[in-house]
Amino acid sequence: MGMSRRDFVRAGALSGVGLAAAAGAAIRDRVRSDTPDPSGQATVRLLAVLDNIEPKADEDVLLRMQRELKRAMAKPVEQRRWVMVIDLRKCVGCHACTIGCVAENKLPPGVVYRPVVIEEFGEFPNVRLRFTPRPCMQCDEPPCVPVCPVRATWKRPDGIVAIDYDQCIGCRYCLTACPYGARTSDFGLFYTSDAASGAPDGDATPTLGPDAAWEHQPSHEYAKHWEREEHQSPVGNARKCHFCLHRLEKGQLPMCTSTCIGRSTYFGDASDPDSLVSELIAKHDVQTLLPHHGTKPRVFYIV
Amino acid sequence: MSQANSQPLDPKKVWYWGRYGPFARAPWEKQLWIVWALLMALGLVGVVQRVVQGHLPAGYGSYVPWGLWIAIYFHAVGIATGSFLVGALGYLFGWRGLGTPSMLRTVIVLAVAVMLPAFLAVLFDLGHMERAGFILTSPNFSSMMAFNAWMYQAFVGVGVVCWFLSFRKDSGWLKPLLALDVLLATIIPSQSGAFLGVVHAKPFWNSALFPVVFLASAVTSGAAMLLVVRTLLGPEAFRWAVPDARAEHDDAIDRLRIVVSASLLLYLGLEWAEFSVNLWSPGRDEAAVHLILFGPYWWVFWIVHLALGAALPLLLLLFSRRRGAWAIASLLVAVTFLATRLNVLLPGQVVPELQGLESAFHHPRLSYTYHATAMEYLVGCFLVAVGMAVYFLARRFGAVIAFRLSQDGPGRSQ
Repeated sequence: MGMSRRDFVRAGALSGVGLAAAAGAAIRDRVRSDTPDPSGQATVRLLAVLDNIEPKADEDVLLRMQRELKRAMAKPVEQRRWVMVIDLRKCVGCHACTIGCVAENKLPPGVVYRPVVIEEFGEFPNVRLRFTPRPCMQCDEPPCVPVCPVRATWKRPDGIVAIDYDQCIGCRYCLTACPYGARTSDFGLFYTSDAASGAPDGDATPTLGPDAAWEHQPSHEYAKHWEREEHQSPVGNARKCHFCLHRLEKGQLPMCTSTCIGRSTYFGDASDPDSLVSELIAKHDVQTLLPHHGTKPRVFYIV
Repeated sequence: MSQANSQPLDPKKVWYWGRYGPFARAPWEKQLWIVWALLMALGLVGVVQRVVQGHLPAGYGSYVPWGLWIAIYFHAVGIATGSFLVGALGYLFGWRGLGTPSMLRTVIVLAVAVMLPAFLAVLFDLGHMERAGFILTSPNFSSMMAFNAWMYQAFVGVGVVCWFLSFRKDSGWLKPLLALDVLLATIIPSQSGAFLGVVHAKPFWNSALFPVVFLASAVTSGAAMLLVVRTLLGPEAFRWAVPDARAEHDDAIDRLRIVVSASLLLYLGLEWAEFSVNLWSPGRDEAAVHLILFGPYWWVFWIVHLALGAALPLLLLLFSRRRGAWAIASLLVAVTFLATRLNVLLPGQVVPELQGLESAFHHPRLSYTYHATAMEYLVGCFLVAVGMAVYFLARRFGAVIAFRLSQDGPGRSQ
């Protein structure tokens, strides 16, 4: 027994070809940066937003941000650079952003895009609370993107990390790869699965239970129509904050930004030097979460 | 001497349970049938639950996304590749008891039979089982998952080709392809370690040691499984192929005993390296290691892994002269090494990198604790039953082909 010289040569050739092919495939996919998104003029949006309201110097920051949003959407997608700035000095931990996001995106039980972390420091009487909303960081070096085995998630030209609900196989590798815990999996839960169906209303639609109409209202994430039926996307998928991309397309700010009672969340185009977010980042000592992971988040915190 | 050598053989009866064929009825077959029936009955209950109710009966969530099934997947891949690595090297180097084509086919069948349940474990874990094929049609090779999936296909594919080539005495491609599969069998368990090692978000996983640890684990559990299978087959299984089957059988067991013992000691050394770095790093308190050693599941490490899976088997392997004791020791190793996979997979996930998420938004699926549910255990039973069934059917299929080819004259390898 043992291997002859011919066997060694053949084995070496087979192994060499195989290893070269494997290395080439891995390197190719690691360096490629193409995305399935359209770009260029096709992505320009000329939105009729706030056309009848004259800009004022002291206008609400939400109006200012919406005008800047309109200005950004008039550029091709690759020229926009969405960032979010959250002023922790103003956040009171009301969780309106959390619930507003749940309502906007029709999030089911077990899925959350923007929880608010509550931390307590010190001992009585020197006690302090800090509230930290945690949306998806839309990282410039997203660890969740290279681990996806089927290319279901990618970084868009405007900086948002998107998920293709029709491509995601639900392996949950991206969930483990995110140090911020920003991704959650839709396991197919409904709020009133275990509730009694209750008396039907006028059109015989139950108000509670698995057949309740409100439980099956579609969401419009990524500007598409998603109905949560069993085993059908987005059930089984990874899901996360996408800066309300579907609202941006219509000239509306993300829900968390709009609904924040303390005006502590700011959103805009960082490639616009005149934007509010650019001013805030330049003026304040902004920080990011877990910078040692090298993810380069696009959500900045004023502490 | 088997019945095959003492009376005329009826070809029709060869296929029926292989009773009169080249492979005589294996010892322990009746007991294994009972175990299989029980596992399959329990397993089908779990599978029906999984198919009908999806992930609702499972215990994993979004903060601990991977549980028992992924641990089974790692463990099964380790056994498959480790057993193949040892067995194929034994064939290539002509080790007594491992150097025959029939034993090589047994090794290949064992590897495939254990690999298929690993695939099923991942399939059941997916959110969209029907899209599993996307890994093959639109892979992203920067992902270790896609890389591994393609490696598995290559490993199984080359193994199947080697299985067919092993029937030829003069195949010039058998050994080169076998060497390629040996390379794959070395890379694959290392990649399993890298699968976790590349996750920067989990400091416990993010170590260059894991690819080595997983390879050592694969060789240990794989060699142990090979010893168990060789013992269960007994010398009768190869009596028609070699003149001195008993001596060959004993030699194979003796050699495998050395491999299991040495690899187990090596694994324990690597495990010590892994833990000692974490425990002795000044200023760095590795919460995951503390959880493994002193947490609520401390007994999994100290009792299941160290006592039952390492200390007792080493005592039996090193100090007992009875081959039956070695088989029991190897069975303990092969089974309990699942605990080592669990002790890598779960502690890495239950220690959050960003504190406070669990209390920020409450839901059972958004928790940093995990307990496997009954459905998960039942599906685990199904996976074991599938492996046993594949092994049994592939062995019978091979026995039929081997018998028919043995009647075709020279040029056909036994």
